[in-house]
Formats: sequence, C-alpha cells, structure tokens
Amino acid sequence: MKIELEFVSSDVLNPMGEDSKIEYIIDKIKKDKILITDDSLSHKEEARLIEETMKRINENFPGIEVSTLKETKHGFREKLIRLLGGKTGGLTIIGPSKLIKRIKKEPQQILVLAERK
Amino acid sequence: MPWRRLLGFFRKFFGKKKIIRLGFYGPPNSGKTTLANRISVDWTGEPVGTVSEIPHETREVQKKERVTVKFGSKKLIMSLIDMPGIATKIDFEEFLEFGMTKEDAKQRAKEATKGVIEAIKWLENVDMALVVLDATKDPYTQVNITILGNLEARNIPVVLVANKTDLKDAKPEWIEEAFPQHPVVKVSALKGQNLEELYNTIDKHSR
Repeated sequence: MKIELEFVSSDVLNPMGEDSKIEYIIDKIKKDKILITDDSLSHKEEARLIEETMKRINENFPGIEVSTLKETKHGFREKLIRLLGGKTGGLTIIGPSKLIKRIKKEPQQILVLAERK
Repeated sequence: MPWRRLLGFFRKFFGKKKIIRLGFYGPPNSGKTTLANRISVDWTGEPVGTVSEIPHETREVQKKERVTVKFGSKKLIMSLIDMPGIATKIDFEEFLEFGMTKEDAKQRAKEATKGVIEAIKWLENVDMALVVLDATKDPYTQVNITILGNLEARNIPVVLVANKTDLKDAKPEWIEEAFPQHPVVKVSALKGQNLEELYNTIDKHSR
C-alpha cells in the first residue's frame, strides 16, 4: 500500500537537455514513483512527454498523469525576482496513471488522489 | 509567426480565398469526428470518419480536402483534419468494459498511442485549430492546457468549441471561464446546432 513520492529540485532537471529530462522523468515514473519538481515543464516539454509516454505504453504501463502549475509571471515583484535570476514558483506533479486515481487541476492548486491496489 | 500574418494580409488584399487547414483537436470522446462529419456531410454529402462511444475511435488523422461552406454572403474553403484524441494514458482494460476481446482491446490501445503521437506532430501543419471540448466535463485539465499551450506557442489561431450543449448537464460557461483568451462557440455537433456562428467565428479568426 506504500506510495513513493520523490521531490526533485529543478537544479537537477534544468541543466539537462530536453531529451534527458523527459527520459529521467519517465524512468522514475516507470519505477512507480510520483515525481514532484519545483519547476513547471514548458508546453513543448509537456507535448514531448506525452509523445514519449505513448511510445512506452504497454500492458503494465498504461500511461501517466501530469499536472503543472506555471510560474507566476504577473506583478512587479515577480518580474523583479526573475530579472535577478530568481524563480517565482511553478510546480509539476507526474506519476503513473495506475497509481494516480484522480488528479484535479485548479488555477492555483492541484489535488491528487493516489492509491496502490 | 509574422509571415503568416503578412501572407494573410496579402491574400485578403488581393481577394484570394485561402484554403484553411482546420485541425480538430481535443481529448478523446469530445465529439471531434461528430463535428467534422456534420460539417462535411452538410457540404459534401460524405463523412470524414466513423464515430463510436468507445474512446479512441479515431486512431489516424482523417482528412476531407476542400470543403466549401457558404453562410450569409460569405464563403469558407477548408480542409477538415480530424485528429485522434490526445491523452496521457491509454489503458486497454478500459476498452474491455465495452465488450471488446482482450486481443482487440490491446490492438486498439496500440493504435491509439500512435494516433496521439501523430496528432501532436500535426500541430506544425494546421492553419487554425478547433479545440473541441465536451461541455459536460471539467475543461481545466492538463491535456487541454497542453493542447492550447502548444497551439499558442506556434501562434495558431484557436476557436474553442463547447460541444454537447444539447445535454442538460452542459456547462459551456466553464470553458469560457477556464480559457478566456480564446473565443468559445457553443454547439451541438450531434444536432447541428449553432454551426453558422461557428463558421462566422472561424472566418473572423482565420488568417
């Protein structure tokens, strides 16, 4: 009944190229981990993640659930932080669909129900 | 992209009617093929593809070239490109619930994964996208956000279609609230309701 959550810093993912990043994520998910990163994937990366997931789907791996909260872009404070090289948030949760029974996205929060049978 | 706008300007200036490559995007079972069929049958007498209550009925990109639609004093010439539904998971066991054999269900799932990849690759090749959403369901899903984000990143004009408005649970206002940056047209593809407004919106937003 245990479910493993892995929190990964964006410092691990960001230096990777797109291919390596997607490979890293799918590798973790196929090991039945739910991955949480303190950064958001770009829309292009999300599309690549879906494509690469599709290539790997089989009887034991029916796919993924993913939800992203984008970095806050509005407001003077956020702009200033980004100008100084800082980050203003963003979050991605990705996990195997056989574990994540429900994922609901709202503009500023993600609700996840995970269960291992 | 600026060249698209420039091309659109010259076409309008010289009065040349462009053939719009219109992509039908959305999650599975939102009514993409039903809508493409409705438009195609109304104006050519032939459907684009088959529809089914089983998800992922469309597993290959289907096209109907050069469909001329007349409404009011206007005319649209479009190539209808019906895409497989985009999803992050395809579980063959879901198909078993519709009475399919295990072998057929696995084959359908395999074909569906290829369809999703094909639909994503086609993002590069459409002039405009109708993102067809089931108005009875929560529109704020990651798949919908990813589809829209990728279309926006490519500067492809988008019209959101709030489909299935004939159903009593339909809440097309959810779609308007979730994605206020795009025009929303409320239709029932099944009953052919409100298509003239859809044609007007396509005409207004195409380049």
